[in-house]
This record gives sequence, structure tokens and C-alpha cells, in this order.
Amino acid sequence: MDLPGWQAIYQQLKDKNFEIVSVAEDTGGVKDAGKAITDAKPAYTVLIDQEHLVAKLYNMVNVPTGVWINEQGRIVRPNEVAFVDDRFRNLTGLDSAPYLNALKDWAEKGDKSAYIMSEDRLQAKLRPPDADAGQAAAEFGLGEQLYKAGHLAEAIPHFKEAQRLNPKSWNYKRQAYKLSSESDYGTTFVQEVQKAGGGKVYYVPPELPQAAEPQEKKP
Amino acid sequence: MKASFSSGILLLLLASLPAVAKEIRATVVYDDVATEINPAPSEDASDQLWITTAELTRATRFEIKPQGVCRDELCFPLPKARMQEFLRRRAPLTWFNLTAFAALVHQPVAHDAATFTWYFGLRSDQQQALASRRAPDFTLPDMEGKLHSLADFRGKKVFLITWASW
Repeated sequence: MDLPGWQAIYQQLKDKNFEIVSVAEDTGGVKDAGKAITDAKPAYTVLIDQEHLVAKLYNMVNVPTGVWINEQGRIVRPNEVAFVDDRFRNLTGLDSAPYLNALKDWAEKGDKSAYIMSEDRLQAKLRPPDADAGQAAAEFGLGEQLYKAGHLAEAIPHFKEAQRLNPKSWNYKRQAYKLSSESDYGTTFVQEVQKAGGGKVYYVPPELPQAAEPQEKKP
Repeated sequence: MKASFSSGILLLLLASLPAVAKEIRATVVYDDVATEINPAPSEDASDQLWITTAELTRATRFEIKPQGVCRDELCFPLPKARMQEFLRRRAPLTWFNLTAFAALVHQPVAHDAATFTWYFGLRSDQQQALASRRAPDFTLPDMEGKLHSLADFRGKKVFLITWASW
């Protein structure tokens, strides 16, 4: 789990006017997410998001997704995969270190960090969802509501419709599988990843500026 | 002159609603909060949801005001020429078409006919919020049920990070 890893980062950065707000996107709530929190005992804030509200508000399609928010409450780096360690490197081909270094740089320098995203990129990345993605979110929300009301059989068609309308969302797939089983969807997670092009495209790599990679000081 | 409720239109509207309302229970989910309501039996189309103005407020906190459909600082004017698409009077009640209003404010609606459940998604004003770069606020419970808002951390750098058990 990611929670202990972020605790170590938090210990390093918490005195730099820096907070971690960790959100569990779990329709099952404490029943599903609770144990990881109890085990990790994080000192930062961990919230339970049964309605996937944060994913909906920020147009997130997978976990873990990180967003940087500055002191004024403005987004300075949106929605990108944020690995705290290299457990999934074999699958994804992604190293956690460049992103974590960028995060530390931002904690240190704030808006002066070279890792703050440019205005152009922010505008491009913060576009509102298209009509299909908006409808997909509503279908998913309806599915969650029906599941919570004890109507799993009725929920499944709406989860499927959400998956069809927004095939980019892994949240819609994986959460729905967790609430019943992959067989209700006639597929498996592994098959879906392969269909999408494999583990290397399962996550879009973070857009970190090459020039701003921390350089070893040369004499 | 008020075009919306001239007596002629009003009579027409009265005739269009059934004399005896059959008891139907429906669930409206608005802002992810579920509310049980008694909608009007649907005449025109089953994809339209008419609810009383009292239930509108109970389910969504929006109220009908002279200036439009309002909640706190937010107000959506109803187009005068199309008032009958949104409001119908049948004394002592006034009915409001929540699905027509959703279309007006570009709000996706998902409907489950078997369970009479209606889910209202983010309105376009909420979807556009991201483009302003202001981080959308949210309030969620921690494991003990204590509520925290993103806005509580204003003045600090916040690293928002999601995860899941699945």
C-alpha cells in the first residue's frame, strides 16, 4: 500500500508548509479502505470518498493520482500518476524518483519550483469533461447509489454504461469489479490492460520538464 | 405582463396533470445525497421527472424564486417563453421538471427505471470550475467520521493524492 510511503515523505516535508491529503476512492468505505489506514497510522489526513467525489470533481481516471495545490488554493500540477515507490515498475516502466524529487522541490520552493506546470499546459489539462465523460460519471454515480441501496443486479448495467462512455477510466472498471466480480463484466483486469496496450500505457507518465531535472553540481 | 402563468396556459397545464396522483416512490440523488420523493405520475414521457417545489428544495436545496431557480448565491433564470416546460401549477401544489432543469444547466442525468432512481451529476458550472485553476473544494470524512474540507488547508501547499483498496 501507498500510505506508509507517503508517511515517510510527509515526515521529510511537513515543516515546509506542506500537507498531504490522501483520499481513498472506495465505494465500500471504511469496510474496504479502513485496514490500510489502521495499519499505516499516517500523521497526515486520510479521507474516505465513497462517492468518488474527488475523481469526479478533478476528472481523475485512475489511482494513484496526484494534484499539487498551492497556498492560494490554485492547482499548479494536475492529475498525474504519483507513485510513492517502485513496486509497480515492472508493470508500468515508471520510476518513482523523478516525480518524488519534483514534489520535494515544490515543497521547498513553492510557486518558484521549476516543476510548476506552465499556464498553457494547465489550461490544456484542466479542460472540463466532454459530454460522454460527464454522462459516464452520472451512470457510475447511479450504479454506486444502487449498490449501496442493495440493488447490485441493477447497478451493474449502469457501471457497464459508465465504462463504455468513458473507457479511459480505470476507476470505473476496477471499482465495479471489486463490488461484485470481473465475471459480471465478462472480462478481467489483466485483459483490459492488454486491450488498452499493456502496462506501459496503463499510466501516462508524468510530464516532468527535462531541463529542470535536478542536476548534480559540477565544479 | 407575466407570460408564464396567464390563466389560459394555467388551465391547459391543469388539464395535463392527472386528477388523482398515484403514489409512486422515487429516489433522487443530488450532490450524492439520496432523497425519497413522490413524483408526479409521468404523462408525457417516462424520462421526465416532475416533483413538487417543496420536494425540489428538500432534495436539492434549490428554491423557485422570482429571479429563477436559486440556491445560496447561485441562480439559474428560467427562459420566460418556455416556463411551462419547467413549472406546472395544480393547486395547492406547483410541480417542477427536474430533468428539464438538468438539461437547461447541462447536468447529466442517469436513470434506473426498475428502481425509480434518478442520479443528477455535476452541472456545467461545477464542471467548468476546474478551468479556473481553483482547486474544487470537497468535504469528506476521515476514518472516525470527522469531516475535513480541502479549504481547511488554505495557506499551505497541499499534495492531494488518491488511492484505493481495489
